[in-house]
Amino acid sequence: MAKAYTPGLLVTQHKKHRCMRRLPIAGEVKVAKGDHVTADDVVAETALPGDVNPINLSNQLSLPPKDVIGCMLKKEGDPIAKDEPIAQTKGIFGMMKNTIKSRFEGTVETVSPVTGQVIIRGAPLPVQVRAYMGGTVVSVREHEGCEIEADVAYVQGIFGVGGETHGKIVLACDSHEQELTPDRITEDMQGMVIIGGARMTVAAIKRAQSVGAAAIISGGIDDQDLKQLLGYDLGVAITGRENLGITVIVTEGFGEIAMAERTFKMLRGHDGHETSVNGATQIRAGVMRPEIIIPLASVPTDQADHRFEEGQLEIGRTLRVIRDPWFGMIGEVTGLPTEPHVLGSGSKARVLEVKFPSGETAIVPRANVELIEE
Amino acid sequence: MTQIDPEQIKVILATDCGSTTTKAILIEYVDGEYRQTQRGEAPTTVERPFADVTMGVVNSVTEIGELAGRRLVGDDGRIISPATDTEGCDIYISTSSAGGGLQMMVAGVIAEMTAASAKRAALGAGSIVMDVIAANDGRRPHDQIQRIRDLRPDMILISGGTDGGTTDKVVQIAELVAPAKPQPRFGSDYEMPIIYAGNKEAREAISDVFDEGGFDLQIVDNLRPVLERENLSPARDKIHDIFLEHVMAQAPGYDKLMGWTGAPIMPTPGAVGDILQTVARLQGINVVGVDIGGATTDVFSVFNETFNRTVSANLGMSYSISNVCAEATMPNVLRWVPFDMDERELRNHVKNKMIRPTTIPQTKEALMFEQAVAREALRLAYKQHKEFATTLKGVQQQRTVGDTFSQQTGGMTIVDNMKLDLLVASGGVLSHAPRMHQTAMLLIDAFEPEGVTALAKDSIFMMPHLGVLASVHPKAAEQVFDRDCLVYLGTCVCAKGTPKPSKPCFKYQLSGDCNESGEIAGGDLKLIEMAPDARATIVITPARGIDLGEGPGKKIEKEVRGGTVGLILDGRGRPLALPEERAACQKTVQGWLDALDVYAEEKEPAAV
Amino acid sequence: MRYAVGLLLALAVAWTNSSRAATISLAPPTDVTSEDVPNDIGTQVLVEWTASVDDHDVPEGEPRALLGYSIYRKVAQTGDGLESIGEAATNASEIGFPANFDFQDVEPIGSVSYGRTQFVDENVEAGTTYQYAVAATGLPDAFSPLALATELVTPEMEYFNIGKLWFLIIMLTISLVIIAFVWYAKRGGEIKVRPIAGLEAVTEAVGRATEMGKPVLFVPGILDINDIQTVAGITVLANVAKTAAQYDAQLKVPTARSLVMTTARETVEAAYLGEGRPDAYNEDNIYYLTDEQFGYTAGVQGVMVREEPAACFYMGAFYAESLILAETANSIGAIQIAGTAMPSQLPFFVAACDYTLIGEEFFAASAYLSHDPEQLGSLKGQDVGKIIAAALLVVGCVLATLAVTTNWRGAKIAQIYISDNILGDEGLVPNADKVAEIDAELETQAQQPHGGGGDS
Repeated sequence: MAKAYTPGLLVTQHKKHRCMRRLPIAGEVKVAKGDHVTADDVVAETALPGDVNPINLSNQLSLPPKDVIGCMLKKEGDPIAKDEPIAQTKGIFGMMKNTIKSRFEGTVETVSPVTGQVIIRGAPLPVQVRAYMGGTVVSVREHEGCEIEADVAYVQGIFGVGGETHGKIVLACDSHEQELTPDRITEDMQGMVIIGGARMTVAAIKRAQSVGAAAIISGGIDDQDLKQLLGYDLGVAITGRENLGITVIVTEGFGEIAMAERTFKMLRGHDGHETSVNGATQIRAGVMRPEIIIPLASVPTDQADHRFEEGQLEIGRTLRVIRDPWFGMIGEVTGLPTEPHVLGSGSKARVLEVKFPSGETAIVPRANVELIEE
Repeated sequence: MTQIDPEQIKVILATDCGSTTTKAILIEYVDGEYRQTQRGEAPTTVERPFADVTMGVVNSVTEIGELAGRRLVGDDGRIISPATDTEGCDIYISTSSAGGGLQMMVAGVIAEMTAASAKRAALGAGSIVMDVIAANDGRRPHDQIQRIRDLRPDMILISGGTDGGTTDKVVQIAELVAPAKPQPRFGSDYEMPIIYAGNKEAREAISDVFDEGGFDLQIVDNLRPVLERENLSPARDKIHDIFLEHVMAQAPGYDKLMGWTGAPIMPTPGAVGDILQTVARLQGINVVGVDIGGATTDVFSVFNETFNRTVSANLGMSYSISNVCAEATMPNVLRWVPFDMDERELRNHVKNKMIRPTTIPQTKEALMFEQAVAREALRLAYKQHKEFATTLKGVQQQRTVGDTFSQQTGGMTIVDNMKLDLLVASGGVLSHAPRMHQTAMLLIDAFEPEGVTALAKDSIFMMPHLGVLASVHPKAAEQVFDRDCLVYLGTCVCAKGTPKPSKPCFKYQLSGDCNESGEIAGGDLKLIEMAPDARATIVITPARGIDLGEGPGKKIEKEVRGGTVGLILDGRGRPLALPEERAACQKTVQGWLDALDVYAEEKEPAAV
Repeated sequence: MRYAVGLLLALAVAWTNSSRAATISLAPPTDVTSEDVPNDIGTQVLVEWTASVDDHDVPEGEPRALLGYSIYRKVAQTGDGLESIGEAATNASEIGFPANFDFQDVEPIGSVSYGRTQFVDENVEAGTTYQYAVAATGLPDAFSPLALATELVTPEMEYFNIGKLWFLIIMLTISLVIIAFVWYAKRGGEIKVRPIAGLEAVTEAVGRATEMGKPVLFVPGILDINDIQTVAGITVLANVAKTAAQYDAQLKVPTARSLVMTTARETVEAAYLGEGRPDAYNEDNIYYLTDEQFGYTAGVQGVMVREEPAACFYMGAFYAESLILAETANSIGAIQIAGTAMPSQLPFFVAACDYTLIGEEFFAASAYLSHDPEQLGSLKGQDVGKIIAAALLVVGCVLATLAVTTNWRGAKIAQIYISDNILGDEGLVPNADKVAEIDAELETQAQQPHGGGGDS
């Protein structure tokens, strides 16, 4: 077993990327197969049923629930405005009638003879799904959504917060090892995707937020900075719904860690290009990582020849150690011993030998490395 | 399914289709008893590109077949059954937790009463409870509806009201569910199953609410016919049925697999619960089992034949490690680590483990830290379990004038560590710890057992298989459970009370396969090696105020068993208290670790 | 008793005097002094004298010549002549008591029997100057010449009662403790209150009623709102109503007083509003039955039997109806929670109900339920007060026992110090006379080696 499958984060100059745009409930798809769309185009829309507001008329009228129906001024399906009378008691000889007004606006959905409860549904909430990524519509599922395809340069981050957004790439750091501090962020970065180098500070993110940047991407972030940004300590890496007004993506991990040089170079190569980013992360079965998608105007012809099989550990491959004591270091595989090795912790595991640029070599469990996909 | 005669079963094949691996075991009738003989493993093949669970099953079974020298899979790609002398098996059974297991939403009228009973039924059936909707859960109706809408459960269990009790509250709950129109998790090609197990007088009204379509309403007996009694089995059975009919049928390849099995496929945690209940019943003991995973921790308990299960959704060792640190707080985690660590660096390590969940600790320090986190995760999960496993609430109390100053509320926990006989551990961090001593220490520190408790771990996570087996052949299940499934770590004898440091806590005298006597001082731990098959009688004379099961200061005599670790005598007292001050705490913890030889002298570091 | 008889005799003398002429035949008391009683609001004067030479014991059977003393008082005229005591002493007529003082016409302000040498006049006005005189009286109509006090006296109001200084100290201590606890609680400090099962069970009881689709019945006692127990009951009602609003359970409150009904309505409505369920509030469920004790009891019993509430609360003042109500509700299978400070009814409630709040617990309910820092702090402060009182009790008992059984001087002094100074009105300094008394007693015992047995 000289080969072993080890997943890595995808960073590629070119791939055909497809993304599914789906409505939460059935609705109308606004595009047809073959259409070209831009990131901002609405591809599908629908209306979510409005909020449901119950009113207990039985109590308000002091009547048993089954008598409520007889007092209703509105029938099921009738629209009703706020403060409009909804029910009235019969009174005594037509006098002393008790009238109840609706506290909500909407449509009378049901009148329950068991509970005496009337349910008023508010106005439907329109939901629009945008293309998110510029490209071509390749398939349409009626009432559900569509799939968009494009030739893109693609970077997978390790972790992010915030949802889908897009903007032009702008570099704030000169090298992949430079820390992203607030002074590197300028007013003209509004609506842009800011690329940093190493760790980004919370001050930098706040600054980016205040200038109205669309997203901020860098190598690492400190745990405490993230806590300060979110206002709580993130317990489980399921993100994407934060309302920060900015999407934050880290490409390497937590702590003082530089962005992989190749990633940085690639992003620098696309300086000024329109890009779509999504910080949504879901680390569970069916893992989802944040993504940076840069649609390409023309497909690069010089495809890098794939020296290695995807996801296979082989001697000579570049990898990153993803756990202490060599956390974050990048090296080259120099040996793949087949026998399990007893680690410092006392447990047995399959390992590999790695050589760092400094010339130092180390034995690392295979579980603790990540291939850098070429 | 055909009726099975337990007498005729000699070869049993069982698989558990987990979310990543499918594990198969072979149980054979050898020399008058059932033994687990072979095991095999293969990646689970539910997801694309394979999209057929039977491929993984066949792969793992083929591996067993090769090892056992027995042809188990026929040329048609099916498992051969019944068995002949050289091929096939008498019965094939399976469990499944692939695709995230069974996910449910439950609803009831009062969160602590019918809703709690509904939750118990759902958890007991092996499901993950995504949310509990109740009239008093503090949410406004439209928030509840929004929540129902957001969730995509496999099915919904509605209860509420005693028989003859409230009708309108139950209907109100149904009136929240119906307009929310929740969508089942697996596509929209089947109707959302709804199980109604509430007030029988509200059945008609409930049917009316759900008759609009889009729902598959099933009505079973009320799970709380009166507040004084629960009747969970009809609801549980119905959950299993629907799990097979709807949920499993949606997952790729399961329809085929269902045709192969000789007993219904069960959700993995439900099967684990079943085997623990079977063992507790057959041996007449109280059992606690724990399964700590990457994202969740399951705790099972059987006390006086009452079964409870809880799932602590966000307490786990990889995906949820950051949440464990947040909930337990860093100082609580670090108190178990006998050396200084840089807290900021540590927090980043924790987050990195969270986003890269498959990494393993390479150094001893990293291992110690991870096991410290495990202690806290287990402690919190057990705490949640204790809070959930209670006597019923809303029950009338009988009093005499003598109770004037000792009135107690209902809903007291039924978990009593003093009455606990067996503590079973499973899950990566516990069953794959480099030394068994670490597993034992983790269990003692996190669960704080009292009195005499046997410790064991599930060797290869065989409990789910045996759980299904228990439903067709309890005797075989119990035999294999005791002989092959469990690896006994030993027995711990723990003093309850607050012993004075360095003053005598209890005296002990061992006779039998191990003869030794001595005294344990307050705050001390002692390990006496005893082989796994060794048995000894221990007589303990506790100091004043110290309880080992018979009451403070009372002498006890019990049989203890050995194990891969041995007999652990714990004079640290309960509840376990660690010094507040960091340096003193480190010294104390180091002392304990040394006493049990938890982290044996390290070998040459692996690094070059 | 002896004094009382003497006093009666003296009064008899004073009455008989009016009809006969007085004879001046007795020797007067001497060294009459009058002084303002300290630590009062200026309404008392203490008059003291040395007994007359005729005030002596007589052989059995013979009549006493001197039977008592009469005390006379004049408001001293303001003016030049009154300033000098010397003048007053030499010339009685000038300062209000004429030389030919008419014992027949002038009523004394008070009298004491023989053997007594002091009198407290409690009917004076602060700021007025008085002159006192004392005369010995005997039978028949025998008097002594007036003996005048050597000094005039002007009673004055004192702002501080130094004698009660210990009360001030204890009160300040408790107040400070309360303030400290309130402050502590307000700053987020945790004040632990022992869980009270009866109040914890409110949610359980209301929950049971909800599940069973039955109402919750709340009985606020049979006394009016001016009774502190009713007030405490209403506090608990607020919490029950809050829970009922959350659970959407029906809450019924029959009352025996109209004012209680009004208060209960306000309370319940506020609770429903607070929970955002104003629509669930129905005022008709809180109603007045009758003021009659057993009419009310019968009415409530009727509700119990007809509507079969699943939870019953009895919070307030109860008398004979306690067991009738509790037993009826028990027969319909309701969870019952009672709270009262009526000692005689508590055993019935404890035996028949699921949970009972006893006296103090009942009054602590509002602090317990509200978690309001002020109330919690004050609860804790009061507890400290109770601890002080209990400690004094225990220490006092021990010291009293020691003082009696041993000759330990410290214990004896401490005992009188607790009873006279801390609990009495002797101020901070122990009474020198009593200390001297103890010393004398001890000395006597020391001189009789076998008498007390405590001189080892």
